[in-house]
Amino acid sequence: MIALGFDTPDIFWLAPLAAAPLAFSPLRIRKTAAIAAVPEDRLSAAIAVVLRIAGCAAIAALLVGVAGPYRTGALVDHIGEGAEIVFLIDRSASMNENFAGRAPSGDEQSKARAATQVLRDFVAGPRKDLAGVVGFSTSPMLVVPITDRREAIQAAFAAAARPGLDHTNIGRGLAMALAMFRADESGRSRALVLVSDGAAVIDPHLQTDLRADFKKAGVRLYWLFLRTEGNARLHDIPESGADTPQAAPERHLDLFFQSLGQPYRAFEAESPEQVHAAVEQIDRLERRPVLFTEIAPRQDLSTPVFTLAVLAILVLTLAKLAEIPAPVRRGGAS
Amino acid sequence: MTPSAPPEIVYRLRERIHSHMAGAHPSAALGGYGRFHDQTTFLRHPDARRIDLRASLRDPFEDIHVRRFAERRAADVYAVVDLSASMAVAGACVKIELARTVALALAWSAPGVGDRFGLIGCAERERSPVFQPATRARAVALRAADSLRAELCAGRAADGFVATAGLLGQRRSLVFLISDFRWPPGLVESVLGRYAAHDVVAVVLVDSEEENPPDWGLMALADSESGERRLVFMRPALRRRWAEREQERQARLAFLAGRGRPPIFLRDRFDPADFSRRLLAV
Repeated sequence: MIALGFDTPDIFWLAPLAAAPLAFSPLRIRKTAAIAAVPEDRLSAAIAVVLRIAGCAAIAALLVGVAGPYRTGALVDHIGEGAEIVFLIDRSASMNENFAGRAPSGDEQSKARAATQVLRDFVAGPRKDLAGVVGFSTSPMLVVPITDRREAIQAAFAAAARPGLDHTNIGRGLAMALAMFRADESGRSRALVLVSDGAAVIDPHLQTDLRADFKKAGVRLYWLFLRTEGNARLHDIPESGADTPQAAPERHLDLFFQSLGQPYRAFEAESPEQVHAAVEQIDRLERRPVLFTEIAPRQDLSTPVFTLAVLAILVLTLAKLAEIPAPVRRGGAS
Repeated sequence: MTPSAPPEIVYRLRERIHSHMAGAHPSAALGGYGRFHDQTTFLRHPDARRIDLRASLRDPFEDIHVRRFAERRAADVYAVVDLSASMAVAGACVKIELARTVALALAWSAPGVGDRFGLIGCAERERSPVFQPATRARAVALRAADSLRAELCAGRAADGFVATAGLLGQRRSLVFLISDFRWPPGLVESVLGRYAAHDVVAVVLVDSEEENPPDWGLMALADSESGERRLVFMRPALRRRWAEREQERQARLAFLAGRGRPPIFLRDRFDPADFSRRLLAV
């Protein structure tokens, strides 16, 4: 809960002072023989009210300002549209190449850069995703745990666009990505987006573990397959004899994913435009209300309060400057 | 006491007075002194000193004729002074000071021509802090007039004018009502009604500052009597309305007193010559 607090609330013992302008005038009172000689005037009456309010406001605002008001920090629940998404991004060396399988030259983009660029746009949109990022090559790297901090996620994607290293060890990457979904928050919609340009054989032991993990986490799986020109398509069935996980790892990974029993979709992308289209589709599919909490920091409120006090005092000063000075009497008071 | 003698004021009464004391004013009384009036028979006016021999000898019926003279008699002059708090407000002038000057002049002048001077201070009803019955003793009259000071002005209202009319007695007197006449509506009429039996002069004390407020700026005004406060944002339009209101008030005072003497407006200062001129112009 967000609540107001004060550093030195003792100062409020002086609060009755704020009522003083109701009884005292900021201007010097001039005695007049008969107030009835003064014509009724609405503008004057309005100014009188404004000055009273300004007087009360000035004292009250100064008191509040001196008391040091702040808004307490708290965990705030928000409801947004989106999902809890873990991006599992291939950081292997092949991601440094462009879709044609060569080192990018001129204004060409590497696959990693093309994919992360699209993902950054995705995260920067109006969605309220909780996202985590895991990179993997030979071994997985936890980049950002599941969070709603856009800057962190953006930075993670920016980092993923840097040139990668080594091989593709998809199994351990999946294991780490699945481990990031915490078991207790089962109410959320969860998705795992795998971005890779290739596949690898998953150890059969690990396969059983992964099956269990997928069931437990209950995630929907999207595979954004960045196909390099000339590589086999996911659904190409090689001639018999070559249909082994070692010869066609992508096809067998696809088959493995299909056998998980969880919602699964694979997207093949051969150009940045196709990556974009695929991510748009994921965007459409992963739209569900998501409840997430944010830490609102403690906020100092004295600036607006002092600003109010300054404005009120300014009004009073203007009134004082506009005051007609009492004429000097000859021979003093009599 | 003031070091120098107060200025002399000359005044005249509007009608012939009824009085028993010899003085300076035309009266209804016929007697042995004064301006010749008529002749009458000795039986009607048995004054052996004023037997008109020539008329008596000329009369075929042998009546004895006596001359009658319109005698001059002394009047009572009263100053009825407002002692409400508004009189002590210092503007371009302090009104009670002005009232004191007028009262001193009257206290000096009235015994000088044989009239009696009395002084009544009025504030709230049932309360007359200053009361000097009519006296011919100049010193007593001057002391009473001199006692009019700002410290006395503590009244919250001026309705004492109605009650103090009874202190004047029955005989027709010259009464100066000295006040700023900033009274609630209706009071002027009822006061003038109460003093209708007398020759009333309304001396309206006017502070020129109240007539001419400043053009621009803010003023926090407080009523001297009720204490009511009001903030006023002066500007030419409001100033015009203010001045119009003041003119209306003065015109209304003149209208109300219209059947008697016109009111005398004293603006900040007292000019005895002008005052006398106005008093004589009846």
